[in-house]
Order: sequence, then C-alpha cells, then structure tokens
Amino acid sequence: MYEIINDFIQIEIVSMFISAALPLFVFILPFALFAVLAERKVSAFMQDRIGPNRVGYHGILQTVADILKLIQKEDIVAEKNDKVLFNIAPYLVFAGSFAAFAAIPFSSKYIGSHTEVGIFYIIAISSLVVAGILMGGWASNNKYSLLGAMRSAAQIISYEIPTALVVLAMIMFTGTMSLDAMSQQQTAYFWNWNILGGHETGILKIVLTPFMISGFLILFTSTLAEVNRVPFDIPEAESELVSGFHTEYTGMKFAMFFLSEYANMFAVGAIVTAVFLGGYQSPFGYIGNSIGVTWLVPIEQFFWFTAKGLFMVFVQMWLRWTLPRLRVDQLMTICWKYLIPYSFLNLIVIGIITLL
Amino acid sequence: MDLTSLNNSLRLITPEIILSIFLVIVVVVDLILKSNKKVIPYLAVLGFAVTGIVVISSLDSSGFAFITASTSSKQFGMFAHDPLGGFFKLLILSVSIFIVLFTITSSEIKQIHLRSGEFYALMYGMVLGMMVLVSAVDLILIYVALELLSLSSYVLAGFTKLRDRNSEAALKYMIYGVVSSGLMLFGISIVYGLTGTTNLYLINSLLQGPQINILTLLFAVLLIMAGVGFKISAVPFHFWTPDVYEGAPITITAYLSVASKAAGFALLIRVIQIGFVSFVGSDGFWNLIPVFDWKALLVLLSVLTMTLGNLSALWQNNLKRMLAYSSIAHAGYLILALATLSTQGVVAVLIYFIFYALMNLGAFYIVMIIADRTGSEDIDDYDGLGYTSSFLGVSLIILLVSLVGLPPTAGFIGKLYLFIAVLDAEMYVVAVIAVLNTVVSLYYYLRVLKHMYLTKASDSTQSVRASGGEKIILLLLVVPTLLFGIYFQPIVDFTKSCITVLGV
Amino acid sequence: MDLYDIIFYLFALLTLVSAYFVVTNKNIVHSAFFLLFTLFGIAGLYVLLGADFLAVVQIMVYVGGILILLLFGVMITNKITNVSIKTGTIHIIPAAIVIGLFAGALASIMVKTQWQTESAKIPFTTSYALGKSLITEYVLIFEILGILLLIALIGAASIARREEKE
Repeated sequence: MYEIINDFIQIEIVSMFISAALPLFVFILPFALFAVLAERKVSAFMQDRIGPNRVGYHGILQTVADILKLIQKEDIVAEKNDKVLFNIAPYLVFAGSFAAFAAIPFSSKYIGSHTEVGIFYIIAISSLVVAGILMGGWASNNKYSLLGAMRSAAQIISYEIPTALVVLAMIMFTGTMSLDAMSQQQTAYFWNWNILGGHETGILKIVLTPFMISGFLILFTSTLAEVNRVPFDIPEAESELVSGFHTEYTGMKFAMFFLSEYANMFAVGAIVTAVFLGGYQSPFGYIGNSIGVTWLVPIEQFFWFTAKGLFMVFVQMWLRWTLPRLRVDQLMTICWKYLIPYSFLNLIVIGIITLL
Repeated sequence: MDLTSLNNSLRLITPEIILSIFLVIVVVVDLILKSNKKVIPYLAVLGFAVTGIVVISSLDSSGFAFITASTSSKQFGMFAHDPLGGFFKLLILSVSIFIVLFTITSSEIKQIHLRSGEFYALMYGMVLGMMVLVSAVDLILIYVALELLSLSSYVLAGFTKLRDRNSEAALKYMIYGVVSSGLMLFGISIVYGLTGTTNLYLINSLLQGPQINILTLLFAVLLIMAGVGFKISAVPFHFWTPDVYEGAPITITAYLSVASKAAGFALLIRVIQIGFVSFVGSDGFWNLIPVFDWKALLVLLSVLTMTLGNLSALWQNNLKRMLAYSSIAHAGYLILALATLSTQGVVAVLIYFIFYALMNLGAFYIVMIIADRTGSEDIDDYDGLGYTSSFLGVSLIILLVSLVGLPPTAGFIGKLYLFIAVLDAEMYVVAVIAVLNTVVSLYYYLRVLKHMYLTKASDSTQSVRASGGEKIILLLLVVPTLLFGIYFQPIVDFTKSCITVLGV
Repeated sequence: MDLYDIIFYLFALLTLVSAYFVVTNKNIVHSAFFLLFTLFGIAGLYVLLGADFLAVVQIMVYVGGILILLLFGVMITNKITNVSIKTGTIHIIPAAIVIGLFAGALASIMVKTQWQTESAKIPFTTSYALGKSLITEYVLIFEILGILLLIALIGAASIARREEKE
C-alpha cells in the first residue's frame, strides 16, 4: 500500500503517514458500525430474544440511529470537573487504540507500517489507553469514576505481563517481532499455523502443540482483560460502578470511548490471530492461485484475516453472556498467581524446544 | 566473545558468583523458614567467609575479565582483577561479617525479626555491588554497580520503620543519592561524547591526544565527582550524612560509615590512577595528564571536609551524630592522603582504612550496646557509665584514643603514615591544617570520656552489662586496635603488596 | 529544510514545552499529564535517530510503567489530607542566578566542544545488534542488572508491606 501511495504522491513521509492512517477510515468505522449491531444481536440471540429490529431490515441500520442519537446529545461538562483533562481524555484513549492498527497485517500487500518491532509496538502503545482512562476517571470528579479508573488501570497493567511473556515466547519461536513476517511463516495449510506447532516438524511438533495451545489460551485471556471485557469488566460493571470511568461522559465523547472499546476488541483479536492462528493465510490454499489470477490473492488474504478476527470478536461477545463477572481480588489472583507462572513455564519450554 | 575468553572471565569473577549463589540461598531459606529465622545470620556469615577465602586464594593473580576493548597491542576488559581490588574486597567482606555478627544481638533487628531474611538478602546485594564497584574499570559497569550498592543501602537505611526518624533518614538518603547518581551519569555521558569510549584505559590514551576541550572535561569531571563525593561524604556533598546516620538502625550506620566509604575511595583511586595518570615516576609520584588539576581539587575538598567535619562535631550531643561528623572528618584525612598523588599516598589510604574500620566498628558497637540497654544515644545518659560497666568503659577509652590518633593505638600508626606521605609530597600548609584538626577532634572524643568517668551517675542510670558473645566480638575489635599500634609491620607489608593496579 | 527537520523541530518543541509546563504548573495532576507528553516527545526523538527498539521500550517502560505509577501516587495523595501540595519556587533570585550560570555553562559546552563522531548508516533495525551485544560484550552488566532488579523488588515489597501482627 505504501508503494502505491508513494507512486502517486512523491513525498515519502506523507505517503507513510497516509498508509499508516488508512485503517481508520477504511476499516475501523465500518467495523464499528457492524460490531455495535452484532453485539446487540448476538447477545439477544443468546438470551433467547430478538434484539433491535425496528430500524431498517431486521435492525441493520440500528448503529446509524445510535450515532445520530449520540451526536445530537448535549455535551455536559460539570462545574467542578477539570475541563482540560475532561475534554482530552476520550481522544487520548481513542488515539491509543487506533495507533495499534498501524502494525496489524491485514494482508500481504497491506500493512500500515513495515516496522521491525511490530508486536512490541502494539503492546507499548496500548499503555496510552491506560493514561487516558486515568485522566478520564480523575477529571470526572466522581468517587466511583476514580475507583473504576484505578481498577481498570491496575487490571490493564497487571495483565500486560502475561501478554508480553506469551508474545515473547512466540517471538523466540518465530525469530521475528514483525507480525507480517510471523504471518508469512505460517504458510500453506492450517497445520502450519502456530497454534498447531508452527514450522516445526516431526516429534517436536507434537510435543510443542499443547504448549502452543496453552499459550493461545493465556494470550486470549490476558488480552480479554486488557480490553475490559467480561469476565474482567469490573471497571465498567453496570451493577457495581454505574459505568466506571465513563460515567460522566455524554454525547460525542462517550461515543469516542465506545468506539475505542470496539476498536480495541478487534485489535486484540487481530493480534491473537496473527500470532497463533496464521494471520492472513488461508487454511487450504488460495482460489486465486489455483485459477492463476494472482492479484486475487491479497484480497482473499484480507478476507481470511478479517474473518478470523471477527470470529475472535464473536467469541469475546459470546463469553460476555456465558461467564459471570470476576471480583477484583480474584482477578488479581488469576493474573499474578496463575497466569504469570504458567506463562513463564511456557516461555522456558518453547525456548528449549526452539534451541533443539 | 568466544567460549574460552568467557571461561577465563568467569574464573576471574568467582567471588562474585559465589556471592550471588549465597544471595539466592538466603532468599530461598527465608522463604522456607516461616517463623524461626535464627539460622539466616549464620548462613550469611558463612557466605561471606567462603567468598573471603576465595578472594584470599586468588589475591596474587590478576587479569582482565570480559574483554570489551582492544588496542593494537593490549586488550582491556571491563572488570579488572588485581591486588588493589582484592584488598578492598577483603576489607569489605570482613566488615560485613562483623556487621552480621552485630545484628544477631541488636535489639532493633530483633524487633523486625519476621523480615530479617530480607535484611540479609539486601546486605548481600549491597556487598555484591561493592565488590563489583572496586574492580570495575568501565564507566557503565561503575554506574550499574554504584546503583546496586546505593539502592540496597537506601532500603536498608529505612528498614526498621519503627520511628519517624527512620523513614525520614531513608527518604533524605534516597533523594540525595538519586540526584547525585543522575549528575554522575550526566558527567559520564559527556566523557563518552568527548572520547567515544567508556573504558577507563582507552579514555586515558584518548585524553593524551590533541583535541580535548579542557572546559568540557572540567565540567564532566566535576559532575562525576558529585557522584563519587556523595559516597565518600566529601564536603559539598555531605549534607545527607548526619541525618541518615542518626536515623538509620545503628548496624547499618556502622556499615555505611566504613564499607560504603571504602567502595567510594576504591572508585576514586581507580578513576584517577587509571584514567588520568600518564606514568608513575621512580619516586612513587604520579605524573598526571595535564587536562585536569586533580591536586587542587582534592586538596580543596579535603581541607573543607576535615574542617567542617571536626568543627560541626564539637556541638553534637547525640552520639550517633557526633560519630557521623567524625567519620566525615576521617574522610577528609583520607582525601588528603589521596591528594598527594603518589604510591605512598595510596599505601597510607589503605593502612588508614584498615585501622579506621576497626576503630569505627568498635565505637558504633559500644554505642549500640548502650543504646539497646538504656534506650538512649544522648551523651548526657553516659554519665558515670565508666564505673558501672568497666569493660565497656575501658574499650571505649581505647577506641576513642585511637580515633584521635594518639599512641600507642592503631589510629596513631594510620595518621603517622598519612603525615609521612603528605610531608613527602611537600604539602606543608595542608599538613599543618590536618594537625590542627586533629587537635580539635581531641575535644569531642574526650568529652565522651569525661561524661563516662568524671561525671557522677544520676540515680536513674542503670548499669550496662555486655553479654558473653558481645564481649568476644568487642575484644576482636579492641585487641587489634592496641596490638597494631605497637606491632604494625605485617599490615604495612600486606598493603604495600596490594597496591598494584592492573595495566598501569 | 526538508520534512524530517520540520518533524524534528515539532517533536523537540513538544518535549520542551511539556517539560516547561511540568515544572511550572501549579496543579500537580496537570504536571503529571504534561510529563506524559514530554516522554512521548523523547520517544519521537529516538525514532528520528533510528533507534526504533529504544523508542518502543521508552514508551513501554516510561509511559506504561513509571508514569502510571506516578499518576497513581499523585491522584491518591492529592486530596486526602486537604493540604494542597505547593509547587512554587521560594527563593527566586538565587535560583535564577544559579540556573542561569549552569545553563550558560552547559550551552557553551554543548555548542563549542568537538564531539567524537563516527559516520554510520542508520540501521534498519537495532533489535538484533542490541540483543547480541547485551549477551556477548556487556553480559556482566546484564547479569548485575538482573540482581539489581531482584534487590529492588525485595526492597520495595519489604518497605511497602503492612506489618503483620504476630
């Protein structure tokens, strides 16, 4: 994508910027449109009811109606709120979630930025989200918002550790930090995906697979905690803290928080697919290759990547109505006493197998 | 770096490896034993003793570990294993053994005995930092070892958390220490910018080259001296010393006053001798590279330190604070010995350090025993103690006379060698100032003796009896103080054999 | 003056202005948030120097760790005792003189010295070279840093823990 834009505009740095910023308009906005509706419909079907079906054909235009509603709502800023911080917080949170999309490989031809430190950059930039959440919670001048923000920040930074450890094990295994290169290594068919042992062959693959699967589960759980979804959604639990750190936000700012949560959900789903489930590779060959039309392949890869990512998002929504919410001390216990030792064990075993 | 040179390097850092293994053992044993932690101090002493034996056995070998830089003829590493480093390592290890023995009977440590395992683990961290610091010749390794040493000592200074004064001491120590480490790092980065390397030997050869900007080097060295001066409590960087020494638990105060200073002085000797000396003349005097006037800086620092230390100690009523200012004054004498910039000066520093360690540890131990029994460190509560506890009184007489520097004690021999070195370098004015300072120090040391022997005890003072174990440890410190005042030749021979620095 | 220079000046301006506001702002929570932008500006400067790994580590460690800790500390202790933390200077004239001398000395040194330079190409990625030199040349420093982190952990946990009553 960078080359195509660069041929058009000769200035290197502007084309780099445009190619890294493209996912926002091309992907996140349509995805958010789709995801809000999907969440409501999915939860409805799981709870044996119908969900929104008034607006448009079976409720398809519901998100548009939501956005119109949020735009025309009054933007309330209370008197004692810290005005500067209150206004900046949603944009900081959104910037953190959005910046992670620059290193996600949508297809072999389109990746926002070919940086070598890909996955590491994504983990690092998600810490901007924490700063934004703390800012929002503090500026609301509301005890419950502050409490929700503190809990959320503690949860996110605790669960960054198992995430980083599992990702580190995979970096050791694949030998590269760039998600693009990781996806390229998992070529051919689905038994080459990292979750089933990756590029090892023979007996090592069979030994490795249980550790890869446990690594996948640990990564999925920790990233679930990073986006504040059930069962880790203490920070925004409706029955406990009203709405956590975004209680006092109305209108467009609330829409920003909302949008950034969905963007985050897809970003972590994308990370999990790129690292473990083969990225943009298809599980059984490409139609474009078999009929000789090679420019079809990147489009197919985009389709496969989005499908896998959307499946992970669906699993996250599924879990929301399946599992009960964890208490705050149970949440911390799981992270520090169980996930971290298991991910260390994972790291050691995968490291040893990589050496062999 | 290939495997053979790695093996060689690992063989040269065996003491540090043994120390790290014992650190892990102490942490694990602390984890296993939940409530009865009496065995951990003895384990700590065992670890230090084993490391000491290894250091003694390798005292005659020397070599570079972890070769990082090489010129056309020689190879330089970042860790220099040589007799000077071995001497300081032995000194630090023996001081650490004494401090652990002190903590076994100290009441402050007994009050926190549930956390005492962590105390010894932190002490191991501090000793490891000091052992690497006295042998480090690469600026980055110096900084990392200094940080390890400082971090453990910040925590140890505030460990008991029993009184407000304790946390205040730790906080002040930490803030001063962090700022001075930051300044030192800034100085190191400027030196790196000027010379393009962080190895002290390469910096030496590059400083002799043509294009070094003198002003920049002056700025950088002053910043580095801020960091080093903090560790040795030299005068404009001494403000933390009285408050921290008064607030910290007394065993840690004794430790900081001897071991931490020793590590700082080893660092200073190495930086000057390796970084700035072009060759050593036949009369033992160092010829410096003419980029920085070390003599003027060191003489200025030493005069300020001696004077301020001695004059401030005159007003102190709290014994710990008085000993703190007295240790500042002793640092001043040591800097004076170093300011002669000669091998006699370094020999004097080493000899003085051995005796200073004995005297200071003994004095702090007696203050600790009395503070444990009577609960006070104020000099007025020492009234008449000389008659009720005669053993402690006599020991304190010997130690205080030695601290002043009167014969026939070891302190006199230390000061003798110091003055010989200073007069040899023909620095007469400074020698007179040092003698005047010694006379001034007579007052505040003997004031303690006056309170102990010449003031009648008030009715509420109880007699202080030292237990058997404490008497033995005190004898181990007092008897050498007297003995080395008369028969000091083996010490002098030992230090003279220990002053060779690798590669100079 | 090409585009890279303009980006450098933008990041430098961001860093300096935020640093100025960190020091002079009366509200301590605002100072902490300006520190966020300062650290971010420095990460941008690292990227412009070609140190990509270091820039990401700067964001992860400083913004994601140290700044969050700072924010927790500042937010929790700000309103507890109803004593607002004073963040002003008391003796302005002596401070101004000392800072002026120091800044003048620093500026003249930075401009007039001939620093050692070597011509090097900006590498595509620094992670490999960094990792290799940490394990071969600087391995002693690496191991001692490991022990330093252990000691820091033990010390922090020991100091911050509430005492258990026997």
